[in-house]
Amino acid sequence: MVAVAEVVRVPRRRRLPGSGTLVFIGRLFRDKPLGAFGFVICVLFLFAGIFADVLAPYGYNQINPINRLKPPSEKFWLGTDNLGRDMLSRCLYGAQLSVIIGLSAAALATVVSVLIGIVSGYLGGKFDMIMQRFVDAWMSFPDLIILIVVVSVVGPGMGPVIVLLGLLYGIGGSRIIRGAVLSVRENAYVHAAQSTGASMPRILWRHILPNVMAPVIVLFTTRVGAVILAESGLAFLGLGVPPPAPTWGGMLSGSGRSYMYMAPWLALAPGLCITIVVYAINVFGDALRDLLDPRMRGSR
Amino acid sequence: MRTLRGALLAGAMMMAAGGVSAENGEKPQYGGQLEIGTVYVTISALSWDPADFNWKLNHDTGLFYEQLFAGDMSKSKKAGGPYNYIPDAWLPIDSIRGELIESWEWKQDPLRVEMKVRKGVMYPEKPGVMKKREFTSDDILFTFNRLKNSPKKLLGYFDHVDKVETPDSHTIVFYMKHYFAEWDYQFGWGYYSAIHPKEVADAGASNWKNVNGTGPYMLQDFVAGNSNVYVKNPDYWDKEKIGGQEYKLPFVDKITYRTIKDEATYITALRTGKLDMLETIRWQNVDSLKKSAPQLQWNRWLNQSGTFMAMRVDVDGPFKDIRVRRALNYAVNKQEIVQAYYNGNAELFSYPQHPDYVGYFEPLDKQPASVQELFKYDPAKAKKLLAEAGFPKGFTTKVQVCSCNPDHMDLLPLVAGYLEQVGVKLEIQPMEYGAFLSAMTTRNMTPAYFMNNGHTNPITTIRKSFGTKQTWNPSGWSDPEYDKKIEVIYREPDESKRQAMLRELTTEILDKAPYIWLPTPYYYAAWWPWVKNYAGEMRAGAVRPGPIYARIWVDQELKKKMGY
Amino acid sequence: MQAYIIRRLLAMIPTLLFASLIVFITVRLIPGDIIDLMLSSNDIGADKKSRAQLEAALGLDQPMFSQYFRWLGAILFEGSLGKSLWQNTSVMEEVLHRLPITFELGLMALVVALLVGIPIGVYSAVRQDTVGDYVTRSFAILALALPGFWVGTLVMVFPSIWWGWSPEVKYISFTQDPLRNLAQMAIPALILGKAFSAVVMRLTRTMMLEVMRQDYIRTALAKGLATRTTILRHALRNALIPVVTLVGLQAPVLVGGAVIMEQIFVIPGMGLLLLEAVSTRDYPIITGVFLIVGVAVVVINLLVDLSYGLLDPKVRYR
Repeated sequence: MVAVAEVVRVPRRRRLPGSGTLVFIGRLFRDKPLGAFGFVICVLFLFAGIFADVLAPYGYNQINPINRLKPPSEKFWLGTDNLGRDMLSRCLYGAQLSVIIGLSAAALATVVSVLIGIVSGYLGGKFDMIMQRFVDAWMSFPDLIILIVVVSVVGPGMGPVIVLLGLLYGIGGSRIIRGAVLSVRENAYVHAAQSTGASMPRILWRHILPNVMAPVIVLFTTRVGAVILAESGLAFLGLGVPPPAPTWGGMLSGSGRSYMYMAPWLALAPGLCITIVVYAINVFGDALRDLLDPRMRGSR
Repeated sequence: MRTLRGALLAGAMMMAAGGVSAENGEKPQYGGQLEIGTVYVTISALSWDPADFNWKLNHDTGLFYEQLFAGDMSKSKKAGGPYNYIPDAWLPIDSIRGELIESWEWKQDPLRVEMKVRKGVMYPEKPGVMKKREFTSDDILFTFNRLKNSPKKLLGYFDHVDKVETPDSHTIVFYMKHYFAEWDYQFGWGYYSAIHPKEVADAGASNWKNVNGTGPYMLQDFVAGNSNVYVKNPDYWDKEKIGGQEYKLPFVDKITYRTIKDEATYITALRTGKLDMLETIRWQNVDSLKKSAPQLQWNRWLNQSGTFMAMRVDVDGPFKDIRVRRALNYAVNKQEIVQAYYNGNAELFSYPQHPDYVGYFEPLDKQPASVQELFKYDPAKAKKLLAEAGFPKGFTTKVQVCSCNPDHMDLLPLVAGYLEQVGVKLEIQPMEYGAFLSAMTTRNMTPAYFMNNGHTNPITTIRKSFGTKQTWNPSGWSDPEYDKKIEVIYREPDESKRQAMLRELTTEILDKAPYIWLPTPYYYAAWWPWVKNYAGEMRAGAVRPGPIYARIWVDQELKKKMGY
Repeated sequence: MQAYIIRRLLAMIPTLLFASLIVFITVRLIPGDIIDLMLSSNDIGADKKSRAQLEAALGLDQPMFSQYFRWLGAILFEGSLGKSLWQNTSVMEEVLHRLPITFELGLMALVVALLVGIPIGVYSAVRQDTVGDYVTRSFAILALALPGFWVGTLVMVFPSIWWGWSPEVKYISFTQDPLRNLAQMAIPALILGKAFSAVVMRLTRTMMLEVMRQDYIRTALAKGLATRTTILRHALRNALIPVVTLVGLQAPVLVGGAVIMEQIFVIPGMGLLLLEAVSTRDYPIITGVFLIVGVAVVVINLLVDLSYGLLDPKVRYR
């Protein structure tokens, strides 16, 4: 698995120009049409995921062998799979699962990254060194060992996948946050706060954290996409959330591949879902990064 | 363009030849190569040392390590005989020929089997291991003792043998304590009967670089997880009669077993001619292969493994009641599974006895009514019976399944769907393979357990799954009377009597329904038309395709003409 | 600086030992041990005596710690990682055989990612928010969004149906036939690298924008004191800093393999070795692979950190 990483240097403290999220969204549409497009798609899928129970015409496990492998039609907009289940409903519930798994794992990863990155980057010295060695050791573990071990002991399921991916990305991403913290740490007002005797938690909370918010937010959004992709890779290896759970990755790597020739819609539907959503998340994340960092805004 | 030309040519040929048999007047040629995707295409060689007692050994060593007995390919279906040589660990008695043994005879007082060792069989020279020399009875004795004393041996495996003696260099005598029906299976043509020389054992038998045997091929290269490469043994002893003429074996110069883990990849390899033959193809891929490679030749074989949901009778719960177990069998629409889930590519009734076990297998319409009704879909009857047993509203139970088996992961929800109609709710617990297996071996599994179990052979299939305290007995079935009957079968020298007894035992256990009996799928084998003298046979000994591959010849001109 | 390097290298040792101990124990704790797997594949039921006998034959009857120290001793005094429990072959041999293959694949993927990512990143920074920017960035991100195993499957299957062609399904080593080897590795390297290329692209773009927007640069440009190309070169040099960090993050793939690509394209790499070893509970292989990968990754990361410090004067080593 590829760990997404960057270093973003934040030079000084500043507030978000303009006030309120609405203005922000306005700027998004005006200045970053591509990112806005991504944002709209993300919102649509979020909506589909949350309201899957209402939107889906059938259940996600409504097995009916008589209807198996039917191509898209009026009755089944995206066709049916090898057990006769409606693909549209399964993809909608898949969105729900992606929302849950993606948001949870990304949230966990971000919290872990921030905690490790901030504390380690700010304190520096021996603590930083030991922490980084721990991060090194963790990241030299082939992801596979951890995944198989945990999956064997605990059994495949949504919980292990979320925790595992959260930890894996969290520890890996801590480097980025740490890098940002290293830059912020040397700034004048931080020294000023230190010299006035402000306590460390106060400094971290009031001075460091707000100034690394930009990479944190961006990290979070890209993590969601990475988690969705990672789950599909796990599903390919048989370590993902097990059937009948309609994860896009599970559908794509399972019956999607088995019936590729006989029933291509089995793979097309979940495959397009994954691709479109991950694409949207990424362009939105890029736009966010551009907007949150004034130096990225360019000449316009 | 390549495929169109090939298709026209192959079409013309197929009309003319009407089959793959060399008996149709085609003269075998020597030379060429074979790339084989065997039935275990995803699994690499696990071991090279017979003393490891590994089930897969014969598959990889069978081309160079020979055995006392092997399947007689002149009795195969393509040669006009009755046998398809598909069962993974069973050879019908009259299909057995002596391989390293020329003849054998049972004698009384003391009870023994006298065997005459084949003359003129040579071990090729193996630099650093051994010089070229003749095969003698001492080699057999050495193998037997080595296996018997192996620290990895299955305890009790050779207990029926009293002692073994070699009166001269080409005679060996096995003194038996009592008659044992599987005597030739356990040391003869079975899993653990690969005859190997002392020199190899001294050099280190588990190192593939040291192996050396009397067989038609020699192991040239092995890349774990990738391929085994075998080259022709120019001094091989056996001959084959084709079209009235005798030919020295083997024909093909080089055989490669390819190991490919991914299904899409090995199907593609067959389609593009990178594999000359592929022994395991799921039904889902057959259509696309037939369309894109119409010249392929096909054979269909019934899976050598029964699918079922075992219900534990050794723990307290609803499954202890036979009515509940039978009711669940009525509740599952097995015909629909055959038609809809396997698209017709399955047999409704094929476990515990396999339809290929001629004489042992009794088809469903010959079974008593009480067994037949287990295979008739009747949810109303199921509900009624469940109510009688005290579960009018059904019940909930946990079932473990291996996430390593994609078929099971799809089939189990289907079965769960049927059971839910009668109020029985299944909580599915997928597990990784090692964990899944150990749940069974430590008897820690859930009350229901969804799995496959190999048929092996007519006696073993009953003994290993329904004998008390056997490893592969997931339901925990324990009936001392049943065990006694199995023992009697082992001691019975008359095969027809054994067949009758086994038919009885099979019917009995079917009736008692420790499992939800499920259909068994068909698999397909396919090969390109230049692969000759082959009709999809798979084993000429337990998990041993060696003798089959040795008799294949490649029509190299045809292959070139077709553009490969 | 020297003290820092020595300290890092020394710190590596206890880290690896500790981690190896964790792996050693954890793997043996997975339910279903190798004895179960070995015995259960046979047709006769295995009783306690068989288990005990097999355990002793494999050396697994010793207490965990004594097994661990024996393993450690073998490494330190014999340079041996032990033998595979199933095949009885040397673990070191197997690992050393597969490591270069994996490294080659990982390196090629990295090259692909850099060759694709950097130019697109530069272009989309220079032409920020134009249609060209959107198109090229979308291309890179779509490459990331398509699951690798899916693209691999499509590449394997459909050309074979349409044109009767497929990638090689047997591994041809570099020494055997370098051109065919590169051709064989090219496709999985492309697929493996495509996702990473989007990351590289994004990073390059960010760094380029940052440099280009700095006031003194804009002033110099406006005054005509510096050409566009000098600015670009200056910016690119800065962009390389975090790219080096990225290389470090790719280290586990470079050394640990990419299981999915190896499986689909039949490449005998470290990923598949590990997957099989864990599935068959072949403990010596698991711990051996982990150790080698761990050492390699730590060393690569150390080099990365050092170069980062050299390139960016703001970062200090305390």
